Amino acid sequence: MKKILAILLAAMMTATAFAGCGEGGSGSGSGSGSGDNSGSDTSSSDSTADDDSADALVDETGYWVDPSAFGEENNITLKVWAPDKAVSLVKEQIDAFQKHYSDITFKSIDVVAQGEGDAATQLLNDPETAADVFSFASDQLNKLVNAGVISEVAFLNTVSGANDPKTVEAGTVDGALYAYPETNDNGYYLVYDNTVVTADQAKTLEGVLEACKAAGKKFIFDCGNGYYSCTFAFTAGVEIDGLETVGDEQKQKFTDYDPDKAVETLMAFSALMKQYKGTWTSLDVAKIASGFTTATLGAGVDGSWNTVPDQEALGDKFGAAKLPTINVNGEDKQLKSMFGYKYIGVNGSSKFPNAAQILALYLAGEECQTQRAANLGWGPSNLKSQQDKAVTDSAVLKAIQEQSANACAQVNIADTFWSPMGNLGTKLFADDTDPTDKAYFTKLLEETIKNIRDEA
Amino acid sequence: MTYVEYKQLNPFQKFAYKFKTFFKNLPRAVGRFFKGIGKAIVKFFVAIARGFKNYGTTFVKGDWATKLSYIIFGVGDLHKGKIYKGLIFFAAEVLYILYMIFFGWQYISKFGTLGTVATTYVKKGISKVPVYGDNSMLILLYSVLTIVITIAVFAMYIANIKDAYKHQVMRENGKKPTSMIYDMREFLDGKYHITLLSFPVLMICVFNILPLIFMILIAFTNYDKAHMPPANLFTWVGFDNFAALFDIVNTPKKAHTFLSLTGWTLLWAVLATFTNYILGMIVALMINKKGIKLKALWRTLFVITIAVPQFVSLLLMNQMLATDGAVNVLLTEISHLFGNTTQIEIDFLGKSEVLARTTIVIVNCWVGIPYTILSMSGILMNIPADLYESATIDGASPFKTFTAITLPYMIFVTTPQLITSFVGNINNFNVIYLLSKGGPSTEEFYQAGKTDILVTWLFTLSMTSQDYGLAAAIGILVFIVCATISLIIYNNSKSMKDEEAFS
Amino acid sequence: MIKSYKFRRGLANGVIYFILGLMGIIWVCPFAYLLMHSFRAEATVGVPYLIPKQWTFQNYIDLFMSSGNASINFPRWFLNTLLVAAVSCVISTISVLAVSYTFSRLRFGARKKLMNIAMILGMFPGFMTMIAIYYLLKAMGLNQNLIALMICYSSGAGMGFQISKGFFDTIPRALDEAATIDGATKNRIFWSIILPMSKPIIVYTVLTSFIGPWCDFILAKIIMGDARELYTVAIGLQSMISAEFINDYYKQFLAGAVLVAVPITLLFLKMQKYYVAGVTAGGVKG
Repeated sequence: MKKILAILLAAMMTATAFAGCGEGGSGSGSGSGSGDNSGSDTSSSDSTADDDSADALVDETGYWVDPSAFGEENNITLKVWAPDKAVSLVKEQIDAFQKHYSDITFKSIDVVAQGEGDAATQLLNDPETAADVFSFASDQLNKLVNAGVISEVAFLNTVSGANDPKTVEAGTVDGALYAYPETNDNGYYLVYDNTVVTADQAKTLEGVLEACKAAGKKFIFDCGNGYYSCTFAFTAGVEIDGLETVGDEQKQKFTDYDPDKAVETLMAFSALMKQYKGTWTSLDVAKIASGFTTATLGAGVDGSWNTVPDQEALGDKFGAAKLPTINVNGEDKQLKSMFGYKYIGVNGSSKFPNAAQILALYLAGEECQTQRAANLGWGPSNLKSQQDKAVTDSAVLKAIQEQSANACAQVNIADTFWSPMGNLGTKLFADDTDPTDKAYFTKLLEETIKNIRDEA
Repeated sequence: MTYVEYKQLNPFQKFAYKFKTFFKNLPRAVGRFFKGIGKAIVKFFVAIARGFKNYGTTFVKGDWATKLSYIIFGVGDLHKGKIYKGLIFFAAEVLYILYMIFFGWQYISKFGTLGTVATTYVKKGISKVPVYGDNSMLILLYSVLTIVITIAVFAMYIANIKDAYKHQVMRENGKKPTSMIYDMREFLDGKYHITLLSFPVLMICVFNILPLIFMILIAFTNYDKAHMPPANLFTWVGFDNFAALFDIVNTPKKAHTFLSLTGWTLLWAVLATFTNYILGMIVALMINKKGIKLKALWRTLFVITIAVPQFVSLLLMNQMLATDGAVNVLLTEISHLFGNTTQIEIDFLGKSEVLARTTIVIVNCWVGIPYTILSMSGILMNIPADLYESATIDGASPFKTFTAITLPYMIFVTTPQLITSFVGNINNFNVIYLLSKGGPSTEEFYQAGKTDILVTWLFTLSMTSQDYGLAAAIGILVFIVCATISLIIYNNSKSMKDEEAFS
Repeated sequence: MIKSYKFRRGLANGVIYFILGLMGIIWVCPFAYLLMHSFRAEATVGVPYLIPKQWTFQNYIDLFMSSGNASINFPRWFLNTLLVAAVSCVISTISVLAVSYTFSRLRFGARKKLMNIAMILGMFPGFMTMIAIYYLLKAMGLNQNLIALMICYSSGAGMGFQISKGFFDTIPRALDEAATIDGATKNRIFWSIILPMSKPIIVYTVLTSFIGPWCDFILAKIIMGDARELYTVAIGLQSMISAEFINDYYKQFLAGAVLVAVPITLLFLKMQKYYVAGVTAGGVKG
């Protein structure tokens, strides 16, 4: 017994350490409602009257608000997450923000680099240390809303009026808008070397492949990554349609599709991959810019975020277009892709919720979107920014916009979606797959959907 | 065989005999192990019963100070003049009470339900913000902390009573309690193990055992993507997560994945351990062979893989093995010499199950053999020379000497290492995750690929699909297998080794 | 007869040299590839040939000059890791030596049980425990803090006592007994008899615990979150090849990997002798 004494002593010391910080911990754990009676009522979800009042504070620009919207918040400390490439621009924008609201004291507004792709993961790890205002990609919205770590948009009418309706719709869960649309460009499109592929050939997948093959160059389409390979399923008519609740689980819903036709399309893809074996390569998109530099690549399906390196690699030879068509039994079918948006969200644990909302409104507003379109080439979601010259002149943004008309929105996607989709692409591409074996493809599609819906 | 007979054998035969008995005794050892567990449980309850008895009798026999120690820690010691110890006991009680009031109670009181207060939303100025209710995860974590501390304080409470009674008896016998300086000195000699162990054990308790209990308990909850804190509550679900892994009727895919991955995990662990072991030994033998020069150079070449951080070397390997990676480029260039004109694009890790698995085992050799070489080199030189002499007298060929002496000897003395590396391979996250990420993918499995082992599956489940409960259940099963294997073999190989031949 | 024996031995040695040479090349090639491409000037991610066409130091220069950048601060990461590795290897070494001396030399009731518990504790796959560790550290106010990493990397050290216990077992007990007769306490025996004889195992322990922090990229990420300036090289380098950064930073990643590998390799080569001695002695008896 005594030999454990020393251990216990030490354990007690630790206990003290915990007791010491106990107050802080308990305060934030259960009592975050301590300062909540700042004059407004504590009504539940359907409070349209209050939303109007917040919108009423916004001036004609659509992103500046009356300073009274800050309420009693002062000495404001905020943290903002922006992707690395946008950090310096966002910092400038925040300077402008602070200058505009000169009556309010800002202790500090930090901009921290955090990729949009795993912002949700970071936030869910520990909402309290995460940013108050954060950029994220649309597919994470559902996760954030489910865990209750994202606040509803305060300026509902302003935001819905100013942005592309599709981006607003995709940011809405159960009738409430949860995020400020920031971009309308998160997708992939066809990038090609215009000395290898002509604009005309770029219209059909067969044309692209034939041109690449003739030039002895490769075509990159990442079939193993669900983000890209869902194109095969979408083109085949197997499209996603939000989530449905079964029991206490949310499952991916699919639109109705004709299994026969779907399978035929998949077979057409697979046949094309076999026919152009050696030309069609399934590699990570990071290899595309590199492939253009070394002149081994004719074309590739690349994401909008890689536009700059692709343009640097190709220079004058840069060509961009929406995804091509594929010929299925004599019919040219447009490739349908996954298309997402980027949003700015407000952390539910923010100590300065009003200031965070106001900042998010500004960062997602017309002025900032136009600046980002000009400086970073991001496609805006704001309707006025979309008319900006920087946007209308961009071949890339044009290609992306055209593609977005043929795409499924990257929202409300189950976590179980990606790897089965990646598997589908891998199997279509695999050497030992027989593209004429209809039974195999039927089974593959069935299993893929079962796996996505976690029904086994 | 009698002891006398055994003593008359030459070292070579003695060794062969022991080697044989070790494996012959294994089944019995397994039986003994489980019987041992049973016995330990019985012992535990007997000890508790005895504790209660002593608790009562001490109270009856105790004087007022000892009796008061039942409520206020340290009174007995203070009364008998053992001031410092009494104060420590007393301080412990005060701190514990403060801890419970300010921190512990609010969590432990909700331990049974893991929280019931739901999250609500209120308007705060212009924005609607969540007012978080109970956070099941923090309730569980801090409850575990509170339980561990409570157990520690309870043990202290018992120690306090025992100590009070001990000093009461000492006073009745006219003895004085020992001085503080004497006690301190004792901590440097007779009780030195307490001094040395307290710091490491404290660290292990807080940062290993406590999180581990947390994880074990998670396996019995429905903590998953549908029940994510802070806005959602999760609660106890008993053995549902374990059931999902074995239920081939309701959750056939999960069960199938679990069983298949278990098979591959074990196969992988065996292959990885033995390829490393045997190939490493062969290389070590070659380097250490008489007449081979530049020994230091050879060893150095291999050592670089140990020194370079694994995530670097494995990521590098992953890229070199890609269809457009260095390995394929090299193969293409070599094949050009033989008149081939096409490009070779073998998908080592992404296509065929057999190829991917083989590749991983081979790359694992690249990573692991250097470790074996280093540890073997030393051991090889330590093989008793008389073993070889007696074998030569028996007319054994070099090959025979190797299979009959060197190999068994090495296996024998390095059994603990073998077990460590076997268990390490069952849990070998880095090689699989960094190299293949579990691929090639398949539609047959639930969130897993053909080279996924249980730990990488567990990682995917917890990180990508947030099935924490299921992941924890897998973790527990992996642990049970590993712990059982190693306890049995380790304890038996040790008892074997404690005999004289190789010590 | 003698000649043919010599010939046979020569042939055997020749075959061995050939195999060793071939294996040596296989073992070193990936690193040679890494080293070469860290000096590559052209292209970004991958190139379809083995030897770079243009050579440059720019990747290394960028790696150090990019510290003004918000996300990539390699010099800082390097120093962080060095600091964490240095402190945690001191704590780990003390823990390991204390525990293994206790189990090797001191006899007390719970010894065997504790040894068994320590052995199996490390077998738990630790991913789920990381959330718990994070919130425990947060309760102590240590999240996003290098001290947290130092604690995490050294907290479990005591469980890895087997090898050094094995080493201590090989030191004759007669030495202790003689010292005890001379009136030395256990404490004195530990410090003035055992430790001075344990150079190989101390070096071994220091070396293995120093390397740990350079390799972990999961726990450190969870603890550090968005505090990029507090990253260690492992998470930093890992993040450089994430989709967001890979096109801009791939070659710098290669350069960074070389810079991490070189010091550790040199350290290792210098200390190799002790490492072998330690692992051998410990392994046989462990």
